[in-house]
Amino acid sequence: MMETVSTETRTALLKVDDLHVEFDTYGGIVKAVRNVGFKVDEGRTLAIVGESGCGKSVTVQSIMGLTPTPPGRITKGTAMFDGVDILGQKVIDGEDIRGARIGMIFQDPMSSLNPTMTVGDQVAETLIVHRGFSRKQAFNRAVELLQMTHIPEPEKRARQYPFTFSGGMLQRAMIAMAIACEPSILIADEPTTALDVTIQAQILDLLRELQGSTGMAIILITHNLGVVAHLADDVAVMYAGEIVEQGTAEDVFYRSAHPYTLGLRAAMPLNDPARKHGLKPIEGTPPDMFDPPRGCAYFARCPYAMSVCEKNAPPRFEIGPHHHSHCWVHHSDAPPGAREQLRVEAT
Amino acid sequence: MSSGDPRFGPTDFEPVTAARSAETIPRPSLSYWQDAWRRLKENRRALISLYIVIALGLFTVPGPWFWRVDPAAQDVDQISQPPALPEVATIIGPYVPWAGVLATPAADSDAAVPLVTDNLRLFEPATTQAVRLVWDPAAEATGYAVYRSVYDPDPDRALGLPLTRISGAEAVSFEDRLGLEPKPYWYSIVVLDQDGIEVEEYRTLEVQPLRAVSPEEAEGRGWVDDAANLQLGNQIRLPYHPLGTDYLGRDMLARLMYGARVSLFIGIFAPLLFVLVGIVYGSAAGFIGGRFDQMLMRFADFVVALPFLLFMILFKIGFGIGPGESGVFPMLVALVLLAWPASARLVRGQILQIREEGYIGASRLLGAGTGYLVFRHMLPNTIGVILVTLTFAVPSVIFTEAFLSFIGMGVAPPTPSWGSMSNEGIRTMLSHPHELIFPAMLISVTVLAFNLLGDGLRDALDVRMRGRE
Amino acid sequence: MFAYTVKRLLQGVVTIWFIATATFAAMHAVPGDPLTGERATTEEIRRNLEARYGLDRPVLDQYFIYMGNLLKGDFGISFTQQNRSVNDIIREHFPVSATLGILSIVFAGLGGILWGALTALYRQRLPDLAIMFLVILAISVPSFVVAALGQLALVIMNTTLGFSVLPIAGWGTLSHMLVPSIVLGLGTMAFLTRLMRSSMLEIVNSDFIRTARAKGLPPARVFLRHELRNAILPVVTVLGPAIAAITTGGFVVELVFAIPGLGRYFVEAVQQLDYTVIMGTTVFYGGFLVFMVIAVDLVYGLIDPRVTLE
Repeated sequence: MMETVSTETRTALLKVDDLHVEFDTYGGIVKAVRNVGFKVDEGRTLAIVGESGCGKSVTVQSIMGLTPTPPGRITKGTAMFDGVDILGQKVIDGEDIRGARIGMIFQDPMSSLNPTMTVGDQVAETLIVHRGFSRKQAFNRAVELLQMTHIPEPEKRARQYPFTFSGGMLQRAMIAMAIACEPSILIADEPTTALDVTIQAQILDLLRELQGSTGMAIILITHNLGVVAHLADDVAVMYAGEIVEQGTAEDVFYRSAHPYTLGLRAAMPLNDPARKHGLKPIEGTPPDMFDPPRGCAYFARCPYAMSVCEKNAPPRFEIGPHHHSHCWVHHSDAPPGAREQLRVEAT
Repeated sequence: MSSGDPRFGPTDFEPVTAARSAETIPRPSLSYWQDAWRRLKENRRALISLYIVIALGLFTVPGPWFWRVDPAAQDVDQISQPPALPEVATIIGPYVPWAGVLATPAADSDAAVPLVTDNLRLFEPATTQAVRLVWDPAAEATGYAVYRSVYDPDPDRALGLPLTRISGAEAVSFEDRLGLEPKPYWYSIVVLDQDGIEVEEYRTLEVQPLRAVSPEEAEGRGWVDDAANLQLGNQIRLPYHPLGTDYLGRDMLARLMYGARVSLFIGIFAPLLFVLVGIVYGSAAGFIGGRFDQMLMRFADFVVALPFLLFMILFKIGFGIGPGESGVFPMLVALVLLAWPASARLVRGQILQIREEGYIGASRLLGAGTGYLVFRHMLPNTIGVILVTLTFAVPSVIFTEAFLSFIGMGVAPPTPSWGSMSNEGIRTMLSHPHELIFPAMLISVTVLAFNLLGDGLRDALDVRMRGRE
Repeated sequence: MFAYTVKRLLQGVVTIWFIATATFAAMHAVPGDPLTGERATTEEIRRNLEARYGLDRPVLDQYFIYMGNLLKGDFGISFTQQNRSVNDIIREHFPVSATLGILSIVFAGLGGILWGALTALYRQRLPDLAIMFLVILAISVPSFVVAALGQLALVIMNTTLGFSVLPIAGWGTLSHMLVPSIVLGLGTMAFLTRLMRSSMLEIVNSDFIRTARAKGLPPARVFLRHELRNAILPVVTVLGPAIAAITTGGFVVELVFAIPGLGRYFVEAVQQLDYTVIMGTTVFYGGFLVFMVIAVDLVYGLIDPRVTLE
C-alpha cells in the first residue's frame, strides 16, 4: 500500500488552510475547528484521527458545505480544490464538485439512506443529476455499481428499500452511491464505526480495492487507529479542534512526535502479546470548547507538560519531510531528556 | 537545538508535576427539576402562559369574593348592555298621565303639500318614562301613523316599528312609553289620506331619551335606600356592569366568573380524574403484565375506538339532568369514562419502557427494592410525561364542554359556563357582539395558555431536549 | 396484506358491536326509559316502536332484537317524525355531510402540508412566526366561534359589496360549500400544520438528508423527493383522528350554516331527544369512523415501504 512516490511528484488535490469553524449553542460559541490545515494527494489516503468531539467530522463537513448554518459558521480558511476555493460554497460550481468530484459516506448507514426510496433509485439519482443519465440508464448503472461494491443479487437488491438491508450492505450501497460519478476524492466519515468488526474489515478492503481501480484519493475520518493502519498513507491527528501532528502513516505511527499520539497508541487495543502493559487510558477529559485554553490544549492531560505549555500555543515543529508536530518538547530550549524519552516511547 | 529563545526563560521548560485541572467541569450541574424550571423560565411564551393561568385562577376563585354580584340576578333596565362606564338616572316626578294635544288644521291650507305634518317636535324633554311628540296638523289628513325605529329610516324608508294609527286630523300628539331605553330613536309620522291610506311622505325626529326614574321606582328597584332623601333632578347611579349584561340583563362579569368556576372546574378536575384512573389502570397493566395486561389493554382499545364526542352526548343523555341540577357531575363522569385510555396506554408504555432501561437493571443489581425503584426511578421518569398530558388535556376538555354546551348538551341553564354563554351569545352576535366575544375570548385565552404551557413543559421536561437551544 | 385486511375488518366489526352495545346501554340508562314509547308522539309510531323494538319484553330480549335489526342493516325508526326510518335519514342527509367533510379534509390536508413545509423552511423567520401565530390562534378558538365568525365575515362581505357574493347559509351549489368547508377544515389544518412542521424539522436534520445534500442534489430535488415525501408520512397516520374531528366538527358547522347534513339532523335529534334516531346515527357514525381508521391504516401501509402489513 505504501507507495514510494517522491515528494516532488505528489500533487495536492485538495489543500485546506487555516480552517476555523464555530457553532452558536445554548452555552455560548463552540470553537469546534481551529487553524486546521492539510492536503490530500491524488490516489492517496489521508486519515484524520482523534477522539469523539475533536472536530474531525466538522472539518470535512465544512469542506463539503454540509455544516448547518446557522448555528455553524466558517470564520476563516480556504479549501483549494482544482484551483477553486470550495469552502462554504453550496451552489456555485459546488454542485458539480459535491457528489460528482467529491463523494462522501457517513458513519451510520442505517439512518443515512432515505427510507422511502429504493436503494437503486438512490444510487441512480446521483447519475441523473450530475451526468444527465435517463432513469433507465442510471438504474442500470446503479446495478453495476452495486455489483462493484459486492452486493449479491444487485438486480434484485436495487429494487428494495434500505430497511431490508443489513448495516454492512447499506454501507456498500452508500459507497456505490458516493463513487457513482467517479469522484477524485472520497470522504469517508467514520465509515466503519457503526458496523460489526468482521464487516468493518470487508468495508475497508472494499475501499482499498476501489481506490486501486479508480485511483481516487480518500479522506478517512476515524477514531480507530486500527482502521488507520489498515488504509492510511498519511495521518493527521486532531485534538480539541486542532491538528497536533501530521505525517505519513509510518512517521506518525512509528516515530510519533506528539504526546497525544502516543496516548492514543497506548489506548488502542492491539492483538500484540509482546505489549508490555495493557490498555492505558488517557487520564482526564478534553478541554471545554466554549473557552479553549490559550496554551496547548493537551496541557492538562499531558505527561510531558512544561510551564511554557500552559500559556503559549505550541507552534509547528518540522520533524522530518511531511512530518510535523505541535509540541513544545521539540523546542530547542526544552530539556533534551524529555525529547529523548518521547522518542524512545514512540518506537 | 541549544540557541535560546528570547521569549522564554529557563523555568519555562520545567516539567509541570502539580495537579492540573483536567477534570473540572466549568458549567454548574443542575438537577432534573432545576434544569426543567430553568428552561421553562427561558421559554417566554410558556412563562407568559403560566402567568395567564395564574391570573385565570385568581379570576375564578377569589374573583367572585370581590365582585359580589349575583350571576342570576336580572337587571331589566339594562338588557344586552355593552361594556360601558356606570349609568346614571335622573330623578323626576312620578308619571302623570297626559291628555295629548288637539289642533285644528289651518283652513286656508296654503301648505304646498297638504298631506305632510310639519314641525314634529317634543312636547317636553324625552325621558325613559315617556316620549311625548306633537306636530302640526296636515290639511287633508284623516289621521296619522306613528313609527319608531332604532335606525335612521333614510334613505330606504325603513320606518321601523308601527306604534299606532291615530284617526282624525286634529289629534296631533303621541305618547310613547313602550320599553324605552336611553338610546337614540327615530320617530316617523306618516299622514293618512282621505282613504285612510298612508302617504309616501313622512317626517322623522331623532330622539334620545334621558334615563329617568321616579324616587319611588328608584327605591323599589333597590337603587337607593330611602326615596325621601331624593330631590327632583338628582342623579343616582345604577348598578354597574363593567362588561355589560346579557340578553336577560344578567351581569356579564359575574357570569363569566361563575362560568369560569364551572368551565375550569371541569377543565382541570376532569383531566386530573381521568389521568389518575389512567395511571392506576396503566400501571396495573404494565406491572402485572402477561394475559392480564393483554386483557386490560384490549378493553382500553375498545374504549378508544368509541367516537368521543358522540359518546359524550350519549352518556350525557343517558345520565340525564334532573330539575335544578347543573349537569356538571354527569359531564365529569362521562369524561372520565371515555378519556382514561389515552393516559393508561401512555403510563403502561412508559413503565414497560423504563423497566427495560439499563439503569433499572443496574439499580436492581445494587439491591434496590421495588418501592425504591418505583419512587426513585419510575415515577420521576414518568411524571414529566404525565404532567404534559395533563396540561394538554385541559384545553381539550374545555373545548368538549363548549361543544356540548353549544349543541345544548352541556351544563343546564341557568348555570353559566363559558360554553353555554357563547352559545347564547351567538344568537345576538350581530347586535350585541360582547355577549359572544367575552366568553369566547376567555375560552380561547385559556386554551391558548394551556397549549403553550404544555408545549413549554414538554420541551422543558423532555430529557432529550436537555442542553439544547 | 389480504390476511391483515381481513383481520382488521373483523376487529372493526367487533368494535362496532361494542359501540352498539354501549349505545344500547346508555339509552336504557336514561331515567324513565324513554324507549317504553310513552313519549312517542302518535299512537301509530308507538305501535311501530313496540313492534320493532319489542318494548314490552325484558331488556335482554330487546337487546337481541336491536342487534338483530342492526345485523340486517336496519338502524331503526324515528319516534318523533312520522315513522321515518333512520336508514332513510342517513341516505338522505349523509351525502351532504360527506361532501362537506371531503372538501374540508382535502382543504385541511393540502393546507397543512403546504403551511407546515413552509414554516419549517422559514424556521424562526417571519413567515414561520406569522403562520404559527395564526395556527395557535386557530387551535385555540372553539369551532362554533370559527363558524360564527365565518358567517359574520360572509354577512359583512355581502353587505359591503352590496350584492350576495356567496350565500351565508344553505346548501346546493359549490358557492354554498366554500366557506363552510374552510371553516370546518380550519382547526384540522392548524393541527396538521403543526404536525407537518415538526415532522419536517426532524426530517431536515436527519442523516439521510445530509446524504442527499452530500450527493450534490439541487435543493429543490432534496426538498421534493427526500424531505417532503418522508415528512408527509406522519400526517397520513393522523388522518383517522382528523376525519373524526371533522365529522363531529360538522355538527356545529351544519347547524350554523343551516346545511341539511346528517350532523345537523343528529344534533336536532339530540335536542328533541329522539332516542331511536340518536341510537341509529351514533352506531352509523361509530361504524363509519372505525372503518375510516382502518382505511387510513391500510393506505399508510401502502405508501410507507417500511410498514409490512402482517
